[in-house]
Amino acid sequence: MTAILKRVALTLVLLFASSFAVFAAIRLSGGDVTAARLPASATAADRELFLQQVGLDQPIVRQYFTYLGNMFRGDLGNSLTNNASISALAVDKMRNSLILGAAALVLVFAIGIPLGLVAALRRNSWVDTGITSFSVAGMAIPNFWLALILIYIFAIQFQVLPAAGQGGWRYLVLPSVVLAAEGVALTVRMTRSAVLDTLGNDFVRTLRAAGLSNRRIYLKHVLRNSLLPIVSLAGLRVGQIVGYALVVEVIFGWPGVGQTLVNAVLRRDYPVVQFFALVLVVVVTLGNLAASIGYTLVNPRLRK
Amino acid sequence: MSGFRRARKNKQLMAGAAVGAFVVLLGIFGPMIFGDYAAQDLFNGHKPVGTPGHFFGTDALGRDLAARATYGIRISLLVAIAVTALAVVFGTAIGMIAGYVKGTLDGFISFLIDFIWGFPLILVAVLAAASIGSGLLPVILAVAFVNTVAIARVVRGEVLAISEKDFVVAARAGGYSTLRIISRHIAPNVIPVALVLSSYYVAVAIIAEAALSFVGLGAQPPLPSLGQMVSDGRNYMRINVWESTIPGIIIFLMVLSVSLIGDGLRDLLDPRLRTAVERTSAK
Repeated sequence: MTAILKRVALTLVLLFASSFAVFAAIRLSGGDVTAARLPASATAADRELFLQQVGLDQPIVRQYFTYLGNMFRGDLGNSLTNNASISALAVDKMRNSLILGAAALVLVFAIGIPLGLVAALRRNSWVDTGITSFSVAGMAIPNFWLALILIYIFAIQFQVLPAAGQGGWRYLVLPSVVLAAEGVALTVRMTRSAVLDTLGNDFVRTLRAAGLSNRRIYLKHVLRNSLLPIVSLAGLRVGQIVGYALVVEVIFGWPGVGQTLVNAVLRRDYPVVQFFALVLVVVVTLGNLAASIGYTLVNPRLRK
Repeated sequence: MSGFRRARKNKQLMAGAAVGAFVVLLGIFGPMIFGDYAAQDLFNGHKPVGTPGHFFGTDALGRDLAARATYGIRISLLVAIAVTALAVVFGTAIGMIAGYVKGTLDGFISFLIDFIWGFPLILVAVLAAASIGSGLLPVILAVAFVNTVAIARVVRGEVLAISEKDFVVAARAGGYSTLRIISRHIAPNVIPVALVLSSYYVAVAIIAEAALSFVGLGAQPPLPSLGQMVSDGRNYMRINVWESTIPGIIIFLMVLSVSLIGDGLRDLLDPRLRTAVERTSAK
């Protein structure tokens, strides 16, 4: 219990530090805000006045706390490119990313675990070789190229799924599959080796001797013992999915946090970069926290 | 059996080395054979694979895809080598210091490691691009930074385990200096681990560079990065699907080769590493 509390406290410190790091990295960047916001004819005095008005003449730590304060009051500032309010933008984008990320996370486990189990139970057969090669390929294929292959097959050749955009569930299929691909490959590998480890335990032999059916032994006892560590680490997959979402959302024109962030970086729209980068960092940090709590819960040796 | 013979019997390692050697040779000799990667020929755009004079065809501006793709291999390799060299040197050093010295310094380093570990690689690279600008340098720095942390993390754990072992305790009791214990007793046991890990992080570096160039934050035109070629080609998939497929296949082969080599080395040197590597998410 104390281990978990300590971990939560550490996460709070981490969140604080990382939000400041993101804030500072963007403030200290070479870009001149006055050049982006003011006409070229503005004099040095105009620029000074502008910096004072938006609070950029203050020390950075002070700016940071002002920013946090405003954030908790729901004021996230405005975009530099179209002056749109970021708070108005945020809810929509976050919801879209959540839908995509959740779909991918479900796919990772729904596909990865059964495949890994089958590979382990049919070890060294052609089924195992097939599944294992599939997972090696799945880890080596760059996800943005996988995206293009799937678009080419399903959207251009057979025209059964849309290539990009957002609408019903059909728009969700390709991006979530691409986002899940590496997680699936990794989960297959982990499940396979975990099941193989469990099968080597004495209790499996005892259960067999007790006359339980293979099916019951595999599904009830072996799978449960093997899966706890894998599922408890689901939080780590969250971090991975967040990273990839940056690229996958761009390819599929999925209007989420990742796409908004990449576009904002390309346009040097710093207030937008700042907020959306912060959102991703918070999600990943919480995912890591969930993973370490999950791991402590299922591993009594770490519980102390 | 000697190490070399054991290596030759390891199928994964051999397959990975063969694929890797093929791609590296393409990268070395391709640009010499296929000529200028930037020469445009607007009347001969979108030529298919096998066009006379253009082995892999041409892109929208009539530039030779074979020349561009093989030059792209050079860029990928350059980034991978730079990133991995930085990450292995700094990661091993930091991990060894933290693991051996322990105490406050270790606490501080571990906190930093946990802190940076919280950021996904692509996000760090995007932030680096936001603060230094787009290009290969921020990509190299960001990926090296994250990979250093990844290696330091594992090395620290290994050092913690090794420094409890009897031979280290004996060396300490024998009055040897810290420097000598680290360099003679701990480093030889930890460096193989760092090397196996580094082969995974070569793959990470190749994919990260390609992905960032794909979204426009990596190598800038006219440099022909493979990721950027995939991105250029995607607009013309209906006309000439090879423009994005060829660079895609090359990236795939490079990453596949490095992962096979990594798996092979791991089985060869240290089967215990399996879980440590798999828990470390790739990319």
